[in-house]
Amino acid sequence: MNPFPLIRIARRHLLHNTFRTVISVSGVAVGVMFMIMLSALMTGFEKKFVTETVESSPHITIYDEERQIPDEFAQWLSKQSGGIATVEGARPRDRRRRIKKPGEVVSMLRNMPEVEAAALNVVGTAIVSFGSRERGVGLMGIEPEDQEAVSELDTYIQGGRVFDLYSSGGAMLLGSGIANLLGVNKGDTVNIKLRDGETRPLKIVGIFKTGVTTIDYSRAYTLISVAQQLLGMGRDVNQIVVRLRDYASARETAARIESMVHYRTESWQEANENFLSIFVIQQVITYLVTGGIMIVAAFGILNVLIMLVMEKLPEIAMLKSMGYSGRDVTMIFLMEGMVIGWIGVLTGCILGYWLTVFIGSLPIPMKGLIESEHLVMNNALNLYYRAGIAAMIVTLLASVLPAMRAGRMDPVETLRGHA
Amino acid sequence: MIELNHRERGKPVIELRDLRRTLGEGDTAVEVLKGLNVTISQGEFCSIVGPSGSGKSTLMYLLGALDRADSGQVLIDGQDTKKLGDLELAELRNRKLGFIFQFHYLMPEFSALENVMMPMFKRGVRHSDAAERAHELLSSLGLGAKTHRPPGKLSGGEQQRVAIARALANEPLIVLGDEPTGNLDTSNADNVFAAFDKLVKEKSQTIVVVTHDLDLAARTDRIIRLVDGQVVDDGPTADVMERMRADGIVPLSSHG
Repeated sequence: MNPFPLIRIARRHLLHNTFRTVISVSGVAVGVMFMIMLSALMTGFEKKFVTETVESSPHITIYDEERQIPDEFAQWLSKQSGGIATVEGARPRDRRRRIKKPGEVVSMLRNMPEVEAAALNVVGTAIVSFGSRERGVGLMGIEPEDQEAVSELDTYIQGGRVFDLYSSGGAMLLGSGIANLLGVNKGDTVNIKLRDGETRPLKIVGIFKTGVTTIDYSRAYTLISVAQQLLGMGRDVNQIVVRLRDYASARETAARIESMVHYRTESWQEANENFLSIFVIQQVITYLVTGGIMIVAAFGILNVLIMLVMEKLPEIAMLKSMGYSGRDVTMIFLMEGMVIGWIGVLTGCILGYWLTVFIGSLPIPMKGLIESEHLVMNNALNLYYRAGIAAMIVTLLASVLPAMRAGRMDPVETLRGHA
Repeated sequence: MIELNHRERGKPVIELRDLRRTLGEGDTAVEVLKGLNVTISQGEFCSIVGPSGSGKSTLMYLLGALDRADSGQVLIDGQDTKKLGDLELAELRNRKLGFIFQFHYLMPEFSALENVMMPMFKRGVRHSDAAERAHELLSSLGLGAKTHRPPGKLSGGEQQRVAIARALANEPLIVLGDEPTGNLDTSNADNVFAAFDKLVKEKSQTIVVVTHDLDLAARTDRIIRLVDGQVVDDGPTADVMERMRADGIVPLSSHG
């Protein structure tokens, strides 16, 4: 069958009652618009958090602790005594923790195809004081070149570079959050309180701001040799950080590395599990809300098409008497639904883009999990595809019922009703 | 252009064989047609008359392949409609049948010309050819100056003439009219019947109309009289009218 007459009829139906058509199109457009805007808002936060986390933090961290420490003596005793003797309240020996043969581990990691860079770290806690103010920090000793390859720290340093750590014997990069709390600026000298109670002065050579609050309010970088001295670790290191070529594969690669090095190895996803799970819940809520909007729009289309079919019953009967088949009639109404859907999707995408840009431009400063001056909007193309496809599926489903009803309509029943 | 159906005057184009149709189910079932046997030939101008509820419209829907019989046969140009699928029936309606109803059922979104073009679009006639033919038909029915008007801007008589043009668009073998002048005044009804008469005489068109109006039925060549689902009389108009007059059904002053 030549589809043009059917298209012509469908088009005229839609144009004849423009008010009704505009209402239906608006329903779809509003659904698509809100779906895009809400998705952009929700994924914007997640994307910013993930991007800044994977850019400013290692993708994988190897800690100086074994995932499970087998108590070999307890196991041996239990076995020898046939389960009669057991060891209760055993606790690990108080020894300085470190990663053994760190150089060899790093070399092995650098040889793995999925690893882009690996660096040694010395990590501990310290208290930073400036004047009368004190704050606890996570002190991280790094080799600037190696660390830069792992976490692109330079990008986030305001007025300074990671290599400035070499500039004097005691230099430090401080997170912007702690710097604000202490009232410290670049060039100031702070005191680090050591384990034995002594203090040592360190010059602030840069302040970094990643936008991830948990990092900016807790971390300080210094040279690895300085950290080893401050934390009393000799020449040991207690952490290895890794950057992968594909950060999304961190979970699987971390598990593989752990099975090779036998130290607890944590991916960035595992480290941020609690936040990522919030984003999952947030996504579910987004899809429920936008899905609800789309369902309302679908009922709008369903309603309009059912009304249209009821109104056009005599015409449908006449079309059938002229030789148009039930399938032709179904196609006419299906096309009408799909045209409403298409125009609604296109309009919704334009409005959605406008709304996303507008909301993203509003000055709404945030200081929470991430820090930003505006709401973070992820105005990505895939959100438009997703909203468009969802709307078209919903429109199709809403059109099928009235269209099939029109196609199955018995012309004789209508003609008798009008006779 | 439209491929003409072969018209051989006198050849049977409608054959009803023991046609039965029951409407409703169970206790409410009513046998509307009770074994009709009728043959209508090419070029006949035939009217079906009878009181309300006699089964005239039901018969019309069966002749038009819009409904299916419970038993018996409806042969249109030799094709048994019972053996045809939905798509084949639709094609039969498109190519061999033209309908005119009491209510014109024109599509308000389209002009008079486009309404007439509708059956031709379904048949796959080129737009320019369909427009030319539709224009010709409307002109022949006196609507040449109003082809681009929407149905709402035409009078009742004009709308019905558009419906007639639409029924004739595909050069059907048979034109079926269910009270085609039921909504028209006497003058317009006369015009419509005059147009039918012309088609029969000039183009050997087969026309079957259902009507209550015995004056109009008197203008056809043959009357089939239905009562209670059965053919009680069938023959040349003058003869049937004579018998009806004798039975006191038609006033003596009426045509015939």
